Amino acid sequence: MKSKAMNKKGTEKILTIYWFIVLTIIAGGVFAMVYVFYSTPYDARGIESEIFAERIADCISRQGIIDQSFFSGKDFNKAVTGNAFTKKCNINFNVEEGYGDINQIQYFYRVEFYTPKNTVTPVYSFYDGNTNWESDCAIKKDSKDYNRLAYCTEERFYALNKGGEQYLIKILSVVGKSIKNVK
Amino acid sequence: MKKRGTILVENIVFIILNLLFLVVLVLFLIKQGSGAVVLEQTYSKQIAMLADLAKPGMIIKMDMSKGKKLADDNGIDFNDIVRISDNTVRVKLSSNVKAGYTYSFFNDVIVSPSAIKDKGEYTGMYMFTISAK
Repeated sequence: MKSKAMNKKGTEKILTIYWFIVLTIIAGGVFAMVYVFYSTPYDARGIESEIFAERIADCISRQGIIDQSFFSGKDFNKAVTGNAFTKKCNINFNVEEGYGDINQIQYFYRVEFYTPKNTVTPVYSFYDGNTNWESDCAIKKDSKDYNRLAYCTEERFYALNKGGEQYLIKILSVVGKSIKNVK
Repeated sequence: MKKRGTILVENIVFIILNLLFLVVLVLFLIKQGSGAVVLEQTYSKQIAMLADLAKPGMIIKMDMSKGKKLADDNGIDFNDIVRISDNTVRVKLSSNVKAGYTYSFFNDVIVSPSAIKDKGEYTGMYMFTISAK
């Protein structure tokens, strides 16, 4: 009887120790998960690149009519380059000092005008920003391994010039900023 | 009878310890969710997105009452938590010198932040006035 009683006490003690080991493992797991969750930055690049594309679209056309400055007579105005458009549209790319690669522009955009008859070859296009980011858009980003690549948004819309000719306008907007948005 | 009493005390201690463990876990989760690091990042990105969407002449109001509570706890003036210069938003909610989170915006406008006061007290709201450069 004495031996049975002693064994029972021993089993209880082992159970208690085992239980606390389980609790410690659970606590450690929860702490680790919470730490990983909150230390991962919130990826705002999706919203940012959409806002960027919309800003460019707003500068190109108002209420479906393309800004007259894009045309010189019946042709496109070759003076509208990426640089000139960026300034006209109040976009500032030189904002990245202090983080990431210093002075490396974190934005890129490309605008292409197509006629409805030929939606393959653009009749006019221009771009500005860091051209290194554009190649990232060609890669399919189904996997998490590609999170560190730049975030791309493509927007398409139809607009008319003052003469009533229709154009398909494609805007590709790209935001880098992976250091601030991806762990 | 004496033995049964011992078992009861052990069980109560065990339950109390378990509850204590759960309470600590929940407090940890709440603290992490409303911590300075998370809020600084959230606010700076939100303000940058608002600045990207804004047009000169706009006045934007934003509820930052969670940030006010944290700033009060850390002894920082609520009016000093947001700094915007050269298209970069900086939000700082703790007194640590290295603390703070910066995020940039592309819209080339001047954004002037100011904390809104009512009867001499901060309301927890921030106002952003947008003007052309």
